[in-house]
Amino acid sequence: MTAQLIEEAREGLRQFPPALAQEFEAAVEAAQPILEPDELGQWLRDGLDIARHSLRSWEASSEYFRASGPVLEQITYDQMREWCAVGIDLMETSPALSGALFRASPAVLPHLSVTQANDWAAQGKSLYKGTWKSGSLSAQYFDVSPQILPHLPLSQMRLLVDLIDSLASHSYELASACLGMAPGVLAQLDRADRAPFLEFGGIVAHTAWVDARVYFERGPGALRQVSDEQRPRYLSLAGQVAMQVGRLGHPYFIEAAQAFSEVDKDIHEGLLELAEQLAQHSGDAAMEFIKSSPRVAQRLGIDDIARWQEFGLQILQQSRDGGEAFFRLESARGEEVMEALSSRVDLDRVSELIRMYCKALTGVDVGVKASEELTAKGVGWVDESSPTTEGTTIYLPENVERYPTKEENFSVYKVFATHQAGRLEFGSFEYQSELDPNLFPAAQNGSSNGHGNGVVPTVVEEEEQIHTDMELFFDRFDDRRLAHDLFTIVEDTRIDTIVKREYAGVRRAFSRLQQAAIDRRRPVEDMPARQAMVENLLRASLDEIGRIRWPNELAEEMRTPLRILNRIRSEGATVQDSAAATALLYEWLSQIPNVELDTEDWSDFEQEMSGDPDGGEDSDMMPGSGSSGLEESFMPFMPGSEEQPYDSPDPVDFRGDFKPELVQLLMKLKGETGTGDAPPIPLTKEQLQELLEKSVEISINELMDMDLAESSGMFLDNLLKEVNQIQGERQEGQQAMGDDSTGADDGEELPVEAASFYYDEWDFRAADYKPRWCRVQEQRGESGTSNYYTETLHEHTQLVQETRKQFEMLRPEMFRKMKRLTDGEDYDLDAVIEWYTEKIAGATSETKLFYRRNKVDRDVAVAFLLDVSASTDEEIQKHHDQRQDDQFDDDPRKYLSWWAQRRAEAARHPGKRIIDLEKEATVLLIEALETIGDKYGVYGFSGYGRDNVEFFVYKDMDEPFGDRIKERIDKIAPVRSTRMGPAIRHCIWKLQNTDAKVKILMLLSDGRPQDHGYGRDRTEKEYAIHDTKMALTEARREGMVPFALTVDRAGHDYLKQMCQDMAYEVVADIESLPRRLPALYRRLTG
Amino acid sequence: MTTATEAITEYRSWAVEEFRAEEEPYYVPVADEIEVFEAAWNSKIPVLLKGPTGCGKTRFVEYMAYHLNRPLAVVRDGRTEIEDETNLPLVTVACHEDLTASDLVGRYLLEGNETVWIDGPLTRAVKAGAICYLDEVVEARKDTTVLIHPLTDHRRILPVEKKSQLLQARDGFLLVISFNPGYQSALKDLKQSTRQRFIAVEFDYPPRETEAEIVQHESGCDPDVALNLAKMAEKIRNLREHGLAEGASTRLLIYAGRMIAEGVSPRRACQVSIVWPLTDDGEVQRSIEEVVSSIFED
Repeated sequence: MTAQLIEEAREGLRQFPPALAQEFEAAVEAAQPILEPDELGQWLRDGLDIARHSLRSWEASSEYFRASGPVLEQITYDQMREWCAVGIDLMETSPALSGALFRASPAVLPHLSVTQANDWAAQGKSLYKGTWKSGSLSAQYFDVSPQILPHLPLSQMRLLVDLIDSLASHSYELASACLGMAPGVLAQLDRADRAPFLEFGGIVAHTAWVDARVYFERGPGALRQVSDEQRPRYLSLAGQVAMQVGRLGHPYFIEAAQAFSEVDKDIHEGLLELAEQLAQHSGDAAMEFIKSSPRVAQRLGIDDIARWQEFGLQILQQSRDGGEAFFRLESARGEEVMEALSSRVDLDRVSELIRMYCKALTGVDVGVKASEELTAKGVGWVDESSPTTEGTTIYLPENVERYPTKEENFSVYKVFATHQAGRLEFGSFEYQSELDPNLFPAAQNGSSNGHGNGVVPTVVEEEEQIHTDMELFFDRFDDRRLAHDLFTIVEDTRIDTIVKREYAGVRRAFSRLQQAAIDRRRPVEDMPARQAMVENLLRASLDEIGRIRWPNELAEEMRTPLRILNRIRSEGATVQDSAAATALLYEWLSQIPNVELDTEDWSDFEQEMSGDPDGGEDSDMMPGSGSSGLEESFMPFMPGSEEQPYDSPDPVDFRGDFKPELVQLLMKLKGETGTGDAPPIPLTKEQLQELLEKSVEISINELMDMDLAESSGMFLDNLLKEVNQIQGERQEGQQAMGDDSTGADDGEELPVEAASFYYDEWDFRAADYKPRWCRVQEQRGESGTSNYYTETLHEHTQLVQETRKQFEMLRPEMFRKMKRLTDGEDYDLDAVIEWYTEKIAGATSETKLFYRRNKVDRDVAVAFLLDVSASTDEEIQKHHDQRQDDQFDDDPRKYLSWWAQRRAEAARHPGKRIIDLEKEATVLLIEALETIGDKYGVYGFSGYGRDNVEFFVYKDMDEPFGDRIKERIDKIAPVRSTRMGPAIRHCIWKLQNTDAKVKILMLLSDGRPQDHGYGRDRTEKEYAIHDTKMALTEARREGMVPFALTVDRAGHDYLKQMCQDMAYEVVADIESLPRRLPALYRRLTG
Repeated sequence: MTTATEAITEYRSWAVEEFRAEEEPYYVPVADEIEVFEAAWNSKIPVLLKGPTGCGKTRFVEYMAYHLNRPLAVVRDGRTEIEDETNLPLVTVACHEDLTASDLVGRYLLEGNETVWIDGPLTRAVKAGAICYLDEVVEARKDTTVLIHPLTDHRRILPVEKKSQLLQARDGFLLVISFNPGYQSALKDLKQSTRQRFIAVEFDYPPRETEAEIVQHESGCDPDVALNLAKMAEKIRNLREHGLAEGASTRLLIYAGRMIAEGVSPRRACQVSIVWPLTDDGEVQRSIEEVVSSIFED
C-alpha cells in the first residue's frame, strides 16, 4: 500500500529535475517510519502538488521534502499539515518564498508554535513586493529567522521587519546587509533593550536611512555605555530626538552614549530625566546636554546639574539658539551659572589671588601653580594632589571640592597656601649648621654625642660646597627616614603655631582642617611602639593631645617627647630649634624598640603639662639618666616580638610635602643660598647621585616607572635641566637689560614665538558669548628689508610732504594762552586797560580780565589693524576688469585684442594688489604719525579657524619706530581668512594697556569678515558680522573710537550693519587709499 | 594742630605765615632724620623729603617747625617785637598741576581804582623766615620749580618779577619740598637741576613696632589692634609694584585704628579704610582682604 503510494509519487516526480527525486527518496526514508499510511499518502500528495504548482515550484517541493523529516521529529503530522498549509499558501505569492519557508522550518520550530506560523510567514511576505530584489530579501528573512527568533519573540519581529522594509524602500543592498547583521546585533543586546533598539532603528531608517548600517554596527557598543536599566529609556529619548532633528539623530545617539560612559552610572537616570524635559523643547538641546554632562558633572553634583539645566531650560524657552549654545557649553552664561552653582574652587580661577596673598605674606615673589606642574618636572615630587613648595613657587592641588560651599573650599586653599607661605616666611628652608637654636641648649645642636648617631662626614675641602646644611644635618642620623619624619613633624608644628599666632583670622579654618586630618588617621593601637610614638607626636602636633592613644603603663615614656615637641611652640622658635628638637626626639625615639606592644591598656593620653611649654628642666628632655632604662621599661610589653620595619606616618594633607633637603639643594644649585650671592655651584652627576641615594625625600620608584639606574639618571637630568633653565632665564634677563642700556639695535631678533590669548566670541543667535572661543596667536611680523619703505616714500614724495605738513599743523602748542577769563594766572594788561577806560567813561563792562596759559596735550594712541587675508592678494586691475568685461560682450575679437594688450602690459608692470596699497597707506600714515608724535601700533590679522587667529605685530604700541619696523612692513603679505572679532578684541587689549586720553582703533579691510566656522555654515554672513559688530561695540564701551575702513566697494551693506552708529568709510577708489588714510586719521583726531 | 579730643572745634583763621603749631605734633623718629634736618636748617640747605604717601613727611615738617626755635626779634607790621623763643612758622603749599609762579609769589589785585599787590605764600614765608613746605612738588608746573632755584642756593633770593624786586630770605627761612617717587612717571620727575639743590631725606613706613606705637597713639585703639594693623600693613606693602601702586600708608592705618576704636569690626574697618581706598582692582582687593581676614578674626 505504502510502497505503491511511494511508487506513484516517484512516478509523478519524473517530469522534474533529478535533484527533487533525490530529496524525495531521502525524505521518504525519514518519514515512512513515522507516518501512518494515510498520512503518508497525504504527505506525498502535498509534495507533488507543490512541485506541480508552477514552473519553478519543484524547488519548493524539494525543500518541503527535505524539511519534512526534521520537522516531523518536532511536531505531529497534523500540526505539520497546518504548518505546511502556510507554506503552500505562500506558493501563490512566490514559490521561492515558499521554499525558503520550508527550508527554515526545522530550525524555526523550536521557537515558534504552529499557530504562529501564519504570523511569521505574513511578515516575510510583507517584504515581498513582487520584484526579484524584494523576493530575495523576503527569502533572506526566512533564512535568518532561525538565528533571530532565539533573541526576539515573534511579536517584536514586526519591528525588525518594518525597519528592514523601510530601508528596502531606499536600498535593497542596505536592507539585506542589515537583515544579515540583525542576529549578531540582537545577540549583543540585553533582552529588554532589543525592542527599543529596533524601534529607534526604525526611526533612524526613516529619518536617516544611510546611517542604518552604522547604527547596526556601532549601536550595541554605544548602548553599552549607558547603565543597564536606562538603555530602553535612552533609546526612546534618542528616537524622540531623531524625529525632531532628522539626520542628526543618529550621530547624536552615538556621541551622547559616549558621553554617558564618562559620567558615573548612578546619575544616568537623573541625566536622562533632565534630557527628556529638554527634548520636549529641543532635541538638540537634550542631546547637547547629555554630551556636555561629563564636563558638567566634573563640577556639579546631580542636584546642581538639575539647577543648571533649569536655568538653561529657561533660556531655551526664550531662545532656542541661546538654549542650545548654553547646553553646548558655548555660552558665557552657561559657564557663569555652572561656576555659581559649583562649590568647587579651581586653582586657575584663584591662583592670581593666592599668588598676591602669598606675596603679601612672604614679601618674596612667589609663584602659585598646580602641583601637577611640579610633579611633571620629575625633580623629586610625586604627589599631584598635595600642596608643597620648592622654595620659589607654591604648588597647590588643581581644585578643591571638599565642602559644600565655595567659601569653605576657598578657605581650604587659604590654609594650604598659608602653611606653605609660612614655610617660606618663617624660614623652614633656612637651616644653617653654624647657627645656634634659641630655645634649646646649643650643645644639642652640635656634633653628635654618642648613641651611634652616625658619623659627621669628613668633608674634603673642595667638596664641602656641594653639601647643603640640611643634608649634613640628616647625615648625623643613622635612620634618615626617622630623622626626616621627626623634623617634618617638629617643623610643621612650629610653622602651624606661628601661623596661628600671627594670623589669628585663619585659625578657625586651620583647626577645621586639623580636625579633619586627625579624623582620617589610622588607629595607633595597631602600630609598633616607635611608630606609634611618632604617630602620637604627629597627633600632638595637630593640637590634639586628647587624641593620643598610648599604653598607661608607659605614660612616662611618652611624656618626654611631647614636652620636647611642645617647646617648639614657644615664641622665638626658629628652624634651628626645630633641628635641635629633632635631634633630641631622635635620640629618644631611636631607643624605642619598634615592636608590637602587648597590652590592652591603651587609653587617651591625659596631658597635664600642656599649659607650660617652657616648664620642665632641660634635663627633662634629655634621654639622660633613664636612657638605658628606656628599653627596659618596654620589656614587659614585648613578649619576644620582633622588631618591625619602621613606616613613616601618613602625611597630613594640608601640610603637604615637605622636602627641606631637596629644596636646599635646588636653591644651592640655583645659586640662591641664603648666604649671599655665591655663584651657582656646578654639580657633577656623581655627586647628585650620592645625594639621591641617601635622601629619603626622593623615592625613585614612585617617581618613574623604570629600573633604578635609568630612572635615577632621568631624575638627575630633570634636576639639572630645571636648574639650568632658571639660570638661563636669569642670563637672558641680564642680556635683555644689557641691550636696553646700550640701546643696541643691531642684534638679531629673538625667534618668532607666538603668544596665545583667548577671547570670547559673540553668538548673536544665543545672544551670548562663547567663552574662550578664539585663540589669538600673537607673533611679530617677519623682517624683510627696509628698502621697501624708503622706496615707497620716494615714490610718493609729493604726497608725503603734503601729509606731513598737514599733520604738523595738528601738533598743538605746548601752552595756549586763554584770554578774558574771570580768574587766571594774572591780569591781561590789555583787558585791564580797556576795562579801566570803560569804567572811567562810565560804562559798565565785564570783568573778565585774566589770562591763563593752558597746557594742551595731544594724547592720542591708535591701533591700526590691517586685514592681511588672502583676498588682499587680488590685483586691483581685476576689480576694474570685471566691470570692463561687460563692454566686450558682443565682439570677442575686440575683447581678445584688448586682453592681449592687457597681458603684455601686466607683464611689464605687475599690477598692484590690495595689500600693496594697504602697505603704502601704512607707510604714509606712519610717516605722518611720526610727525605728530601720537602713540601707534600697526598690526595685521588673518588665520584659519577659531584656534588659530594669527595676529601679526608690525609695530607694537610702545615700540620705537626704526629700521626693524620698516623691515617688517616690507614683509606684510596676504595670508588666510578674516576673522575680525578676535583680532579687534586683541587690539582692544593692546589699547587698554596703553595710556592715552584718546584711543582709536582703526580697522582696514578689503571685504566682509569670514572664516572657517565663523558662522553656521560657509555661506552664512550674519554670524561673522554680528561678532565683529560686537567687538567694535566693546571697543566703544572701553572708551575707544573704533573706525572701520574698507576698500570693498560692496562694503556699504555690511559696514552699515557692522558699524551702525559708528563711523566708517568705504574707499571706492582703492588707489586713493594712501592719500585717503592719513586724511581720515587727521579728521578723526583733529 | 588741635587735638581731636575737643568736642567742638571753633573756626579760626591765621595769616598764612603766622600759623604755628601750638602743641607739639606727635612724631616718632625712625632714624636720624631729626638731626639731619636740624643740621640742614642751621646750614640753610633746603631739604627734599622723599617717601611714599602717608608715611609722615608732613608731620615731620610740622614737628621740626615746632622744635626749631628762633631766638630773635620778630618784625611784624612794621613794629619790632621782642618775642620769646618761638617755634618757626610753617607755610605749607599743596602743589597741583595748575599751580603757577604767581600763585606762589604774589599778584596784583584790583581794589577800587588801584592795583594792590598781594604776596603769595612763598613770598610771605621768605619775609617771615618761615619754613616753606611745598608738598608734592612734582605736581606743580615746570616753570614753578625753576622759580625756587635762586632761593635754594647760596643767594637765598626770591625775585619778584612783577614788582621788579629781589627778596632776600630772612633767617630761619627754609625751603622744604616733598615728592613721592612711587608714582613717578617719566612726566612727573624732578629735573636734575632742581633735585641737586637739596639734601634728601628718605622716608619709608616705620618698622612694625614703631608703626604700631604711632597707630595706637594717633587712633586710640588697643595695642593688640595697633600691632595687627602694623603687621597687616607690612604684608600689604609687599604687594607694592605687584598690582598696588602704593602700600597702605600709616595714615590709613590710623584711620582704620580710629574706626576700630569707634566700634567698627576690624575686618570691616580695614575694608573701608584700607582695602577700598588702596585700589579699585577687584582681584587685588580680594587678595588684600584675604590678608586682612588672615590677621583679624572678625
